[in-house]
Amino acid sequence: MKRLRIDRWTGQLLLARSGASPASTPRAAALRSAALSRCTAVRSQSTGTVRQIPKEDDYYDGTDHTRFPPLEQLPPKATSLPSPPPERALQSAKLAALHARLSLPERLPLQTLARALVDASADENPQFNNTNLAFVGQSLINYHVAEWIMCRYPRLPMGILYAAMKGYAGPTSLHHVARSWGVEHAAVPGGEVDPGLLQFSMHKPGDAIIGFGYRRAEADGMKKHKWRHGMSSRVVFDDDFGEVVDSEEAKDELQLRADTEYGNEYTRSLAEKAFATCARAVTGAIYAHAGRDRAKAFIKSHVLSRTLDLSRLFAFKKPTRELSMLCAREDFEPPVARLLSETGRLSRTPVYVVGIFSGKDKLGEAAGASLEHARTKAAMNALKSWYLYSPGEGVRVPSDVLAEDAAPWEPAYIDMGEIIGH
Amino acid sequence: MTVRALQQISTGRNGVGSFILQCKKMDFHYCDWAGSSKGMNGFIKSLLPKFAASNTQVEFAVSPRPSKHPVIIAQYINGREKAICVRNMEPYEILKKAELLRDANGEKNRRVTKPVQSINESVRGVWSPYHGNGLKV
Repeated sequence: MKRLRIDRWTGQLLLARSGASPASTPRAAALRSAALSRCTAVRSQSTGTVRQIPKEDDYYDGTDHTRFPPLEQLPPKATSLPSPPPERALQSAKLAALHARLSLPERLPLQTLARALVDASADENPQFNNTNLAFVGQSLINYHVAEWIMCRYPRLPMGILYAAMKGYAGPTSLHHVARSWGVEHAAVPGGEVDPGLLQFSMHKPGDAIIGFGYRRAEADGMKKHKWRHGMSSRVVFDDDFGEVVDSEEAKDELQLRADTEYGNEYTRSLAEKAFATCARAVTGAIYAHAGRDRAKAFIKSHVLSRTLDLSRLFAFKKPTRELSMLCAREDFEPPVARLLSETGRLSRTPVYVVGIFSGKDKLGEAAGASLEHARTKAAMNALKSWYLYSPGEGVRVPSDVLAEDAAPWEPAYIDMGEIIGH
Repeated sequence: MTVRALQQISTGRNGVGSFILQCKKMDFHYCDWAGSSKGMNGFIKSLLPKFAASNTQVEFAVSPRPSKHPVIIAQYINGREKAICVRNMEPYEILKKAELLRDANGEKNRRVTKPVQSINESVRGVWSPYHGNGLKV
């Protein structure tokens, strides 16, 4: 736990404070000048051109430095910076180990990897946090996941497609990805912490925009009165996962509670967001330094290789009616449910096996404890087998054409769309 | 009445797509004075540089622990840690222990009765008593 450091408070706060209490004017004036000098201090991003900042009054934390010598010689003013200076990245063992653990390309320098670990909530300066890298990474991950799902499962309805996208590339999944890399986080961000630790603030959200989507004017009404918003408007307005972009006011209440409670919903979501942003930023860094192919291979091996059972994403309301509409649309014969076998009709636990037939073709089959149950399940199975049609595992995606000496693109299978009910 | 979506999260399997070594940090503790650390001191001088250079995925830390037996403590991605006391061991015995810790996945030791565990769906499907020709009694 770090103690409060007045020299890191913002200048505005100190100005207001000195006006309120006239007793402490000399000290407040000294602090104010220190804060102002900190604001004007220039940070250099490259290791080659480190500016020698004149050494001022050193921060003293009460440690006896003759008995406990510091493990690492911190550069001057490091403790007053919001995130570790880039030149410290070369000395961090954690960072080098993370670089090797992820088999990152040699061309990706440790300084960039260190920057990918600084969240916007820790350091607001976009030249030192991972916002830019994360935006690139987010676009790449979402693009590759979307094209892969659309080519692999061309008949998925839009809602299921969004859910599958979120299942693979959503913040929770990427949070798990970053955790599985062994990324650790610092308790509190600061210039003196190890650059190999993920740094984010539990108390304030960063104002980083890493994603597409508009803030809807009617967002509050949609949340409060559950206004309907159709799939078409989701495609236009909402983010990459078809979810309404939250308004700032919605977070305020939770944010107020975050300072009083330990580990509430808000702080958990901040941590999840920071880890997900880190995973995206690493992907973006690979793209920036090693190119498109390495980034694609990285996404394939870390995001797309995960397992998601798409058949568990479906929730049907009236499957039998939907199936009959599908058969009418596709010029199949109308579906008929037939009892295939049964056992123990008069017993306590009867089992009926019902198949749904269209002419002589069996579309689906299921076993259930009642005739109605079995018929509904059979209709669901038939619909799932329609929606989850796949051309095969090794299906080509449009970005495969970008590789060198790739075969020309053959159009992928495009379905006419989901079944629309009345 | 159209189909609605339920939310699920994808699950990862280490080694499918990419492999992440589960050991993330190893601490080597030694004592300059005590005889039980003799082998550990020799290990740190002769074998550890090569071992550390060939395992860049792991963060290494060497620190003295006076008046205590030498110990290797490994930290894993799942948050657990494993420690092995290497008192009175020869350097090559200590190297074996270090490799053991490096290759472990950090979970508690348990007896493996089924050699393959999978989250994939069974290829043959679950046997059903309601299908097939049945048995004539």
